[in-house]
Amino acid sequence: MKVIRSMVLVSVDEASLQLGAQEVFRTFLDEIEAFGLSNQIAVTTIRDVGMHSDLPLVIVYPDAAVYGPVKVEDVHAIVEEHLYKGNIVPSLLAMMSELGPDVSWMRRRRGAMPVQKRVVLERAGIVDPESIEDYIVYDGFQALGKALTQMTPSQVIAEVDKSGLQGRGGAGFPTGRKWSFVASTPGFPKYVICNADESEPGTFKDRLILEGDPFSIIEAMTIAGYAINAQEGYIYIRGEYPLAYRRIENAILQAEQHGLLGDHIFGTDFSFHIHPHAGAGAYICGEETALIESLEGKRGMPRARPPYPTTFGLFGQPTVVNNVETLANIGPILRNGPVWYRELGSPKSTGTKVYTILGNVNFTGLIEVPMGITLREVIDIYGKGMKNDKKLKLVQTGGSSGTIAPASLQDTPMDFDSFRNAGVSLGSGALLVCDEDTCVVDLAKVILRFFRNECCGKCTPCRIGTLRLYEIVSQISEGHASLADLELMSKISEAMSEVSNCGLGQTASTALLDILKYFRAEIEAHIVDHICQAGVCPISMPSPEPDLVP
Amino acid sequence: MISLTINGQTLEVPENTTVLKAAEQIGIVIPTLCYHKDLTPYGGCRLCSVDIQGMRLPATACTMPVSPGMVVQTESPALTRYRRTILELLLVRFYDAGYTRNGTQEPELDTQFAHWVRHYGIDMKSAMAKKPFRQIDSDPNPFIWVDKNKCIMCTRCVRACAEVQGRFVWTQAYRGYELRIVAGSDTTMLQARCESCGACVAHCPTGALDNKLSVKLGAPDRTVATICPYCGVGCQLYLNVKDDVPGGRILSVSSNAKAPVNGDHLCVKGRYGYDFIQSAGRLKQPRVRQYLLDGTPRPASGGPWVDVDWDTALDIVARGLNAARDKYGSDSIGLLTSGKLLNEENYLMNKLARQVLGTNNIDCSVHINRSTTVDGLNTSFGLAAMSNSMDDIARKASSIFLIGSNITENHPVFGSKIRQAVLRRKVKLIVASPVFFNIEEYAALALRYKRGSEAALLNGLMHIIWKNGWEDKKFIEERTQGFEEFKAALDQYPVDRVSQLTNVSAEALNQAAELMAHNRPMAVIWGSDITPLVSGVNNVMDLANLQMLMGNLGISGGGVAPLRSQNNSQGACDMGGHPSVYSGYQLVTDKYAHKKFETAWGTALPTRPGLTAAEMIAAADRGSLKALFVLGENLWSEETGAFVRRSLANCEFVVLCEVLSSEVSHHADVCLPGVSFAENTGTFTNTERRIQLVRQAIQSQGDSRPAWQIISGLAQRLLAPGSRPVSPEAAYAGWAYGNTREIMNEIAALTPIYAGVSHERLEKGDCLMWPVYSVAESGSPILYASNFPLGKGRFIPSKG
Repeated sequence: MKVIRSMVLVSVDEASLQLGAQEVFRTFLDEIEAFGLSNQIAVTTIRDVGMHSDLPLVIVYPDAAVYGPVKVEDVHAIVEEHLYKGNIVPSLLAMMSELGPDVSWMRRRRGAMPVQKRVVLERAGIVDPESIEDYIVYDGFQALGKALTQMTPSQVIAEVDKSGLQGRGGAGFPTGRKWSFVASTPGFPKYVICNADESEPGTFKDRLILEGDPFSIIEAMTIAGYAINAQEGYIYIRGEYPLAYRRIENAILQAEQHGLLGDHIFGTDFSFHIHPHAGAGAYICGEETALIESLEGKRGMPRARPPYPTTFGLFGQPTVVNNVETLANIGPILRNGPVWYRELGSPKSTGTKVYTILGNVNFTGLIEVPMGITLREVIDIYGKGMKNDKKLKLVQTGGSSGTIAPASLQDTPMDFDSFRNAGVSLGSGALLVCDEDTCVVDLAKVILRFFRNECCGKCTPCRIGTLRLYEIVSQISEGHASLADLELMSKISEAMSEVSNCGLGQTASTALLDILKYFRAEIEAHIVDHICQAGVCPISMPSPEPDLVP
Repeated sequence: MISLTINGQTLEVPENTTVLKAAEQIGIVIPTLCYHKDLTPYGGCRLCSVDIQGMRLPATACTMPVSPGMVVQTESPALTRYRRTILELLLVRFYDAGYTRNGTQEPELDTQFAHWVRHYGIDMKSAMAKKPFRQIDSDPNPFIWVDKNKCIMCTRCVRACAEVQGRFVWTQAYRGYELRIVAGSDTTMLQARCESCGACVAHCPTGALDNKLSVKLGAPDRTVATICPYCGVGCQLYLNVKDDVPGGRILSVSSNAKAPVNGDHLCVKGRYGYDFIQSAGRLKQPRVRQYLLDGTPRPASGGPWVDVDWDTALDIVARGLNAARDKYGSDSIGLLTSGKLLNEENYLMNKLARQVLGTNNIDCSVHINRSTTVDGLNTSFGLAAMSNSMDDIARKASSIFLIGSNITENHPVFGSKIRQAVLRRKVKLIVASPVFFNIEEYAALALRYKRGSEAALLNGLMHIIWKNGWEDKKFIEERTQGFEEFKAALDQYPVDRVSQLTNVSAEALNQAAELMAHNRPMAVIWGSDITPLVSGVNNVMDLANLQMLMGNLGISGGGVAPLRSQNNSQGACDMGGHPSVYSGYQLVTDKYAHKKFETAWGTALPTRPGLTAAEMIAAADRGSLKALFVLGENLWSEETGAFVRRSLANCEFVVLCEVLSSEVSHHADVCLPGVSFAENTGTFTNTERRIQLVRQAIQSQGDSRPAWQIISGLAQRLLAPGSRPVSPEAAYAGWAYGNTREIMNEIAALTPIYAGVSHERLEKGDCLMWPVYSVAESGSPILYASNFPLGKGRFIPSKG
């Protein structure tokens, strides 16, 4: 059984090839074979590394060590020292100053790997999620105690702000800034809401936290309440997560019995109450204003913004809405300090990120890694390679509303900024890996059907736009579309992303637009030639009932 | 104020203004569909999306509040593209079957939606769905037409039902592309408790909701603004007229946001109850009993009817009334005028009785059953009217005490305003009634008292207020008299006794008093249920006592609000349709007023107050009243029907002027066909003293005539024999009126509280609420701000 623990990437752009990259590549294969590491180390090529003077480059994951210029005679040392013994060879590393921006970020990457760096999931699977004693043994409620007894609310906010924590629900808004908005907005009462309506298809990170470490969320919400001067918190849990609901309910009960929640927490003047609420199966209620409407007992439909929840939230009062994963970072930040936190991840996107890996890889599931690793690492190291050794075609990042990253983007670091620059969204952290057998038309159809069904119906572009897009894509898959329909799809998508009321409508056509951008030829083949390369669409199926000649 | 720039123009608007409203101020039109000025912004259709500098995406102008230095662009090629796409998408799920065109070739629907579709250069026919996807006419509601093929999910109906009528019939169901507007839980409208007010229809921008009675009748040729003929709220409505028959016919009624009292709102009666105007049951020709033509004695049954011309009919009436006067004296004649008629016509009735017939026997016939508000309030304050406007109560009261009124049925538009006051402002509503009325659903507290125990209830409440020291001592001291005696009377109403008398628990009584005390100002509203003939005056005075005790008078959000049952009950009394007052509550017993009217009308006038309506009926029964002239009223009612019938049968000569044939016509000798409000021009005064213009929309039906013409024709005939000396030099002796405008000028000249009223001012759009002492004044929405007409308000202890 092949278990990849490390990867070697050899640059094979024009310049590198001229400088002997091909020889270097071949020598790596030989040396790795010689050391008996073939089952643990993958060697591959990387085409586009940008302009450097240290070519050819060799990148070793997961340490993100960049060697260069690498000559055939350097290979033995790299394999022996780095890959066999685990020590980076400093003398052979490329000069930082010689690296272009496409690669230089790797040098700033910190944190040991491939051991997952657990912050958010530190206790999940280790503690008994139904025992507050167990939680307390594992540093539980230290952060809350510290906040309530040693810090002022504004100090708490400052610590969170300094940590650089960005919301993990998808938009990546700085959490400290959100808290300080609400703290400085006049008005009482104020509310803390934990958005646990995790309904992005293929995402289940929040579920693991809720089920595996429920007390951490209770603790973090209470800290948030202290920071913004709120006395009530609501946790809106996806209705399909009954175990998570029970565990949160139990956690609230136990915390109250121990005086860690409720009136006069830690014997201080601060009181905070948390109310769990089960969702009823609507995807849209993950949108924060729809969630608030739903909590108020109304139909879950997004509000017009502004005003934002920070000024006009639950029952019209200033409200903080945080995702589960975001809150799970709060305890560790307060316990270990913002400097420790910033050490994780990349400079602009700090901390770790929990991803869910899905699709055509050998291992699917959750990983928690520092911000800034690449798709290639995720697929080859954590996903243990493509299933059946098929070729990677594309990755959809961030759930159904996320973007499509073609294979060519797999070396872009995954952090908020880099992804944004590459036109890719991190979203909820779902990574749907698709191999060459995937038909993009079929993929678009699945995604659009989901939005057609889950759109709340409030605004025109989304309500009828998703319907029309789904109809057109279906027609393409059946061979009944024309090239003009592609223009129509672009026009509808444009209106949807520009003037829809909420994130759902604005992003419902994201994947479709990416597919049109990266895979237009494949779609045109459906329309013009009636060919589905992957053989998935109805167009390619033999007619179930052949025409009978009378 | 916030300064911002829209399309390069800089302007200043108050905080919390939306971009849409700001743009409106400088005449910039932004296309909208789901937006309506009376409803909470929704931001669903997205048509009003505009670019705002610094924002990543366009924002909807209808929901976006302005902020300092904001730079807005309402038009751009991209915005036009988005708007066109939105309209095209809407048309994907839109189908117009074409029935509204009434077979004509009118090209397209005249709706807001159709307007914007045209504006953005889209051909509706080719862009819309190819066939209907939902049932056309899908709801059995008798008045509201539902065609969901035309629904664009703007939810204006949902919001109108919630935010205008307060009934929550419409709602959204399902989601995404399956989203649809449903009544209740996808039931029929009536099952979902629809009151058929038609607010949803008025607010629908596409014609998905329409008026069932007129949906297929095509477009009207003209629209006439007039006043609703039903209740005292005085809603303005618009008669849509088609001129395809001589004189025109009424196609439908619509509302208009510009209406002063009701805005875009009407109730089921006003909006849909117009079929009587052109019904086959209309009296179209004067008719008299055969015996009057033959000169034979009256048969017991009255004998057969004969249609005659107006001259014949009026001659017979004049002869009959003159005969009664000559034979039995002036006071053998009674006149019953009507809260359904114009102010001008009521004034003429008052003049006819006093100047021509020489009697003060004039009253509103509706007072046979309920008269007492006028007398009660006159005794307490010296004026009989609602002290605060409906709008003031709905906007400013902190609590409302509503007693004896099924307000949502009898004064529906005011009822829905109260519902909204509760919903939006959390006004504490206390409803007292012997039976359930649906406004109770909005009440903070309902007091179900035993019928007839109003006096105990009110005095009990006042007792609690007084014992707790919640009374307004300063107001009592400065503005009232008689409090000491009143206190002594209050002592008879300890809470335990009151609880026994009323069947209301002591706890509820205490709670009610507490709500009243802690939610000031409180407005008191009552309907005709607590003003029966015998105890009504007392009840009204007790309500006045309550408001004086609490100091809730002369202030915004307080006051007394008697709800007048007919559209012009207030005006009929204002115009002297009352046995003891001339127009404007000038007492017939007041020397100065008496002299003034004698001089104006050029004849000697009776000095003693006349008989009330109830007394007239009783007098007829006794035989002392011989002739009765009843104008526009149906005297018959459930409670008094048998008695009225016997009394009428006992009269020698009964003249009736009616629009539709009623019970009373069995006992009449002459029936004169009057006209409906749609065929007449003049004024009505609503329950809050607002004088409003009624405009003629269609020609009189058949040979019917407006009452003012009938009365003046009759007066001229009555005076012709000369048995009643009238000096022709007197300023207002004559009866030659060309129109009601001239009559109003006469009213203004003789009636101080109407002195500044004229049709010209109303035509100009002046909002007039009496007292209007001069043409420079517009009157006041709140009475008694500094003093009462009596000087001080009088506490009058309840009797019994």
